[in-house]
Amino acid sequence: MSARGGGAAGVLRAKAAAFADREYWVRLVMFACAAISILAILVIFVFIFRESLPAIRDVGIGNLFFSTNYNPQTGHYGMLGFIWGTLLTTFGAMVLGAPLGIGTAIFLDQIAPERTARVVRRGIELLAGIPSVVIGWFGLILLVPFLARVTGTAGYGVFAAVLVLVVMALPTITTLSAETLKSLPPELKEASVAMGATRWQTIYKVLLPSAREGLLIAVILGMGRAIGETMAVQMVIGNSRGITFSLFGRTSTLTTRMVTEMAEASGVHRSALFAMALVLLLLAVLLILVIRFVSRERKPAA
Amino acid sequence: MKALGRVLVTLLAAALALALLSLTCGCAKKTVALGRYSGRVRVSGSTTLLPLIQEASIEFMDANPRTKVDVQGGGSSTGITQLKSGIVNIANSSRELKGDETGWGLVDHRIAFDIIAIIVNPDVPVRNLTSNRVKAVFTGKVRNWKALGGPDEEIVVVVRDQASGTREMFDEKALGSTRDHPVESEPSAIECSSNGVVRETVANTRNSIGYLSYGFINRYVRALKVDDVPPDVGNSTTGRYPMARWLHMFTRGQPGGVAKGFIDFVLSDRFQNEVVSQEYIPVRDVLKK
Repeated sequence: MSARGGGAAGVLRAKAAAFADREYWVRLVMFACAAISILAILVIFVFIFRESLPAIRDVGIGNLFFSTNYNPQTGHYGMLGFIWGTLLTTFGAMVLGAPLGIGTAIFLDQIAPERTARVVRRGIELLAGIPSVVIGWFGLILLVPFLARVTGTAGYGVFAAVLVLVVMALPTITTLSAETLKSLPPELKEASVAMGATRWQTIYKVLLPSAREGLLIAVILGMGRAIGETMAVQMVIGNSRGITFSLFGRTSTLTTRMVTEMAEASGVHRSALFAMALVLLLLAVLLILVIRFVSRERKPAA
Repeated sequence: MKALGRVLVTLLAAALALALLSLTCGCAKKTVALGRYSGRVRVSGSTTLLPLIQEASIEFMDANPRTKVDVQGGGSSTGITQLKSGIVNIANSSRELKGDETGWGLVDHRIAFDIIAIIVNPDVPVRNLTSNRVKAVFTGKVRNWKALGGPDEEIVVVVRDQASGTREMFDEKALGSTRDHPVESEPSAIECSSNGVVRETVANTRNSIGYLSYGFINRYVRALKVDDVPPDVGNSTTGRYPMARWLHMFTRGQPGGVAKGFIDFVLSDRFQNEVVSQEYIPVRDVLKK
């Protein structure tokens, strides 16, 4: 390391060597970081798959994944009702959340004066920071009794879960949609307005179609948020083992079923809960594939 | 680069300090006491009792580091079978011995008493249900309070989760469920993962009915009489109130050594009052009455 007596060139060389040396270590650390996350995913995948094998073997794929008869005490572990519950709440949340989120994004990007937009943006950031259990509790204390009074049911159920999920997914959808709209070239809007289009026509006919893929990805990421949400949903959905086709019916999602029963489950029952985790994981993979597909489609157009 | 290096070094130092700290803590804890007992004891049986006995084993091994307590589930029958064949030293059971299980010199240690009370939201005007009606309500045959002398409102049924021992006992004693003919509560019932959640849900949901361990009743829910008998320790021990049971630990002959130490620990005032009482009624509180 000492460059004494080596002259100016020596000093430079030593410095370069030390720099290269450090570069090497830094690169190693970064690689380790990346490797850890890949390793974590692999371990999770292998572990969940291994733990769900006993249920798949004992119960059978048909009775496990494609049956709605869930009744551990009699050895029935059909989870189709909960898969349906997960899909129903998630899509329900998107039906309400997507227009709301994209609408807010349009408001922020195109309509609101800067000062108003700043206040709204801060509010949404704050919403994203509220822990889900707080939102769930809020739902339990205010939303459920309100729904009970309005609908004459117990208040617990799919609709309460959907509303809670809308609140949870809204920040994701809004932020990403606003980001997409902002990234559109300003010429688009200028050209449209120059041709005599009104503001609404510009938004509806020019901006939204150009931002389509980005908005779709925003909604899909919002879905990812909704699909995995556990605590908040568990507090308001009613946690019944039956399947429901009613908006105000009580049911369970995959995540809420797992968290309700994992504490005391053992044997095949425990393994069946892991099989639910496996389904969730596959749903997540599916969402990612859809995102890849959507964003690949965009490239030739750009 | 330099700044990054410094950050890394700081992090490393912090991690090292933390490791050292935890190391010294670990040592300090280990040298506290070796406890009175040493050796190994195997326990299996009731899944109802599993959480309780696991907690006991952790605390017992903490106090007696030279012991090893293996606790497994499997169900009361499995535990008793394993006890008879000498695989385990203690069998946990949520039921009495029956049939050919008696006569093997098995010694009964009652470790807790369990009473299930049926509770309703305080707005519900019903005060008493016949046992037949209890069964009809929880299996979904009766869905409106009107049929039970209440208002024209839907009955909201609240039950425990599928893995719960309380649910198992309720299904057995109130719904008449057996191994060969399982009877289940209705599919749209709200499932709660603990006694506390049942209480909160029933307290906050109009027209709701549920069940929980007796110790959890408070003024925000109302306990119902069953066949005109209110749930309490007196009525339960005499058998007038049917939904109650002793929880047991069985041994083959009088226990000795670690097995005795472990049972004594479960029966100790501290464990009974601090842990057992969270879900069940401590043994002493029953015998007092």
